[in-house]
Amino acid sequence: MLKAIVIDDELYAREELTELLKETAEVEIIASCNNAIEGLQKVNSLKPDVIFLDIQMPQVTGLDMLSMLDPETMPQVVFVTAYDEYALKAFEDNAFDYILKPVEPARLHKTIKRLKSSLKKCDYTALLQNQLELIPCAGYNRFVLLKPQEIELAYSDQSGVHVISNKTSNGENKSSCSLSLKVLEEKTCLIRCHRQYLVNPTAIREIKLLENSLAEIITCNGSVAPVSRRYLKALKERFSLS
Amino acid sequence: MELIFSLLQQLSVYLVIAYLLSKTPLFMPLTTVSGHLSQRLACYVVFSLFCILGTYFGLAIENAIANTRAIGAVMGGLLGGPLVGFAVGLTGGIHRYTMGGFTDTACAISTTAEGLLGGLIHSYYVRRGLVDKIFKPAVAFIVLLIAEVMQMSIILLVAQPFDQALHLVKAIALPMITANAFGAALFMSIIQDRKAIYEKYSAAFSSKALKIAERSVGILSRGFNQQSTKKIAQIIYEETGVGAVSITDREKILAFIGIGDDHHLPGTAISSDYTKQAIENCELIYADGYEVAYQCSLYNKCKLGSALIIPLLGGEDKVLGTIKLYEPKQKLFSSINRTLGEGLAKLLSNQILTGRYIEQQTLLTQAELRLLQAQVNPHFLFNALNTISAVIRRDPDKARDLIQHLSQFFRRNLKHNIESVTIKEELAHIRAYLEVELARFSDRLQVDFLVEQEILDVFVPTFTLQPLVENAIKHGTSTLLENGKIEIKGGVIEDNNQTLVQLQVIDNAGTYSPAENATGLGLQIVDKRLKNRFGELYGLQMSCEQGISTTAQILFPLVVEKNK
Repeated sequence: MLKAIVIDDELYAREELTELLKETAEVEIIASCNNAIEGLQKVNSLKPDVIFLDIQMPQVTGLDMLSMLDPETMPQVVFVTAYDEYALKAFEDNAFDYILKPVEPARLHKTIKRLKSSLKKCDYTALLQNQLELIPCAGYNRFVLLKPQEIELAYSDQSGVHVISNKTSNGENKSSCSLSLKVLEEKTCLIRCHRQYLVNPTAIREIKLLENSLAEIITCNGSVAPVSRRYLKALKERFSLS
Repeated sequence: MELIFSLLQQLSVYLVIAYLLSKTPLFMPLTTVSGHLSQRLACYVVFSLFCILGTYFGLAIENAIANTRAIGAVMGGLLGGPLVGFAVGLTGGIHRYTMGGFTDTACAISTTAEGLLGGLIHSYYVRRGLVDKIFKPAVAFIVLLIAEVMQMSIILLVAQPFDQALHLVKAIALPMITANAFGAALFMSIIQDRKAIYEKYSAAFSSKALKIAERSVGILSRGFNQQSTKKIAQIIYEETGVGAVSITDREKILAFIGIGDDHHLPGTAISSDYTKQAIENCELIYADGYEVAYQCSLYNKCKLGSALIIPLLGGEDKVLGTIKLYEPKQKLFSSINRTLGEGLAKLLSNQILTGRYIEQQTLLTQAELRLLQAQVNPHFLFNALNTISAVIRRDPDKARDLIQHLSQFFRRNLKHNIESVTIKEELAHIRAYLEVELARFSDRLQVDFLVEQEILDVFVPTFTLQPLVENAIKHGTSTLLENGKIEIKGGVIEDNNQTLVQLQVIDNAGTYSPAENATGLGLQIVDKRLKNRFGELYGLQMSCEQGISTTAQILFPLVVEKNK
């Protein structure tokens, strides 16, 4: 059985697709999400084999979401769309799998057959953005879309990736992020200062040098990030300190 | 005493010449005080002539000349200003000097001084803004009186021997003062009459032209056809009082009103060679019945005896037709009507062009409307079908309803030819559309209707509200992660004593940005059609509070229409 997540902002569309997938008896729907941000979280936490991804979704479109997934844990992607000339052309050009709404069961069968036969991952670079414009984050009961330049610090711990922004919403400047540090490092202005920390260079107020070639970064809003030996040199060079 | 009569006799001849000259265009510049170089030059030439004429018409007496030279000099000054007065006086003076006699120097000096006096009076009145006074015969009379007294004094002062001068002055003073003063008054009166006639003429001309222009406004913009030209011909016929008026296009008579309308019938082909020639060569033709013979080409007993044929020009010198003015055989073509005719042709040509322009604009909006209708978003259609196919599984009855709504929506969209609908119908159209969208966004879209009963029967252009609602969903609420809300409001408001209909579509997304071209087209067309219908003051206005709400507001005056 393929583990799948359906991501679509329309209730009936999700239901219809879920129903059709169940009928194939080849796919297990492990989650269904009504927007891309929730979708990201589920992909990260549930590690599906395949996602059925609608393109037209609020705030973060299916294509945006694709760029936010960590290439290493990227599941197979089947695009689902009602009508989108531009996207369809891109899929055709790159031979990506896509399904048109209303979904044709025969076509769905074919897709699943293909998925099962080769679980090797497609190369989606043609659709990926080099730089992310919005970083979807989640706080308590809400989604926040942060611009990369608003983020001061990003770090990971056992519970996942967290970002600290220079803006507070509902008195919070900390929220959890569904993007991996690697994606953030590659696709935003954040730079690595520690295995578990990224920092926004424009938000650095102070770099405090410690013993043993270690250091600490203090950001504009007073958050502290450790700098490991490995990254200190690069950091110093960046600011012409060495 | 005898001298007075002789002098007055000479004066009569002098004034007859003045009267005759007043009939010529040479006199035209004298009737206004414009200060233009041409006017001054005309004053100088005319009055220098009269100045010299005055000397020639003088009567030789005691080795001197009793004369009316002063009239020219003073009038020159009065009408032309100090510089002209001086020049005229000097010219007359030098001329007199060459005639010799013991008063030659005195006369030359005094004539120049008289011209200057006239000029100073001119300046005085102009500076006070009393230009009209210059043309008063009484003023001319008094100024001449003073001028002549001055001349007598100069003769006494300058001419030698004094005894002889005194004797001369005693003899000529009274006759010359009287004759010159009267002469100047009469001369001025001639000019004044001329001026009055000219002004009356131009007043009559402008009032006729303005009246025709006013009455004919907009008639031809509805098209250049028999109905519209008939109205225009009627107006021209009434206002100009010519014998008959006809308007033709390139092939046939469109309208004919006046004498001879029993055989000049609208709809018949043009038979007159003059008209064909006017169209062919794009030239004005005036057949006055004498120099250029005129004979009605349709009926040899036609009473019309002269015709003025003026081509009507479309863009790029293309002749659209002609306008023809006729007078019957016993009546002369007044020059006012001839000039007016040319102006009218220009006026009508412009009106026809404007009409065509408006027509093209309407066609353009119609084409755009089709585009708007054809613009039914494929995304909407396929999503709707997808929704329906999902609903069929769960609730076949609901699916059937949705299909009904969808077909209703498309059927309405296919009705290209309906120009306007009631707000009630437009709301029904929106409801059909919304039923589908509400099903699609079932869990996160809410729409409220708050429309007052009294505006339901008001007519609006078709597809006024639906694009706004579609826009609010497509670019507004569908981009929200949270629930979307749309309010459709309608009512009347009072603004500056005018009752306006206000329609609003408000969403809670606040994502509208005026720069976006994609959303632009549909909304632009809505706005344009409202402006076409209700005028530039009204139409669609977008306002947006970023992230909070977008309001699309339509305002137009409340007009109660009975049909359509």
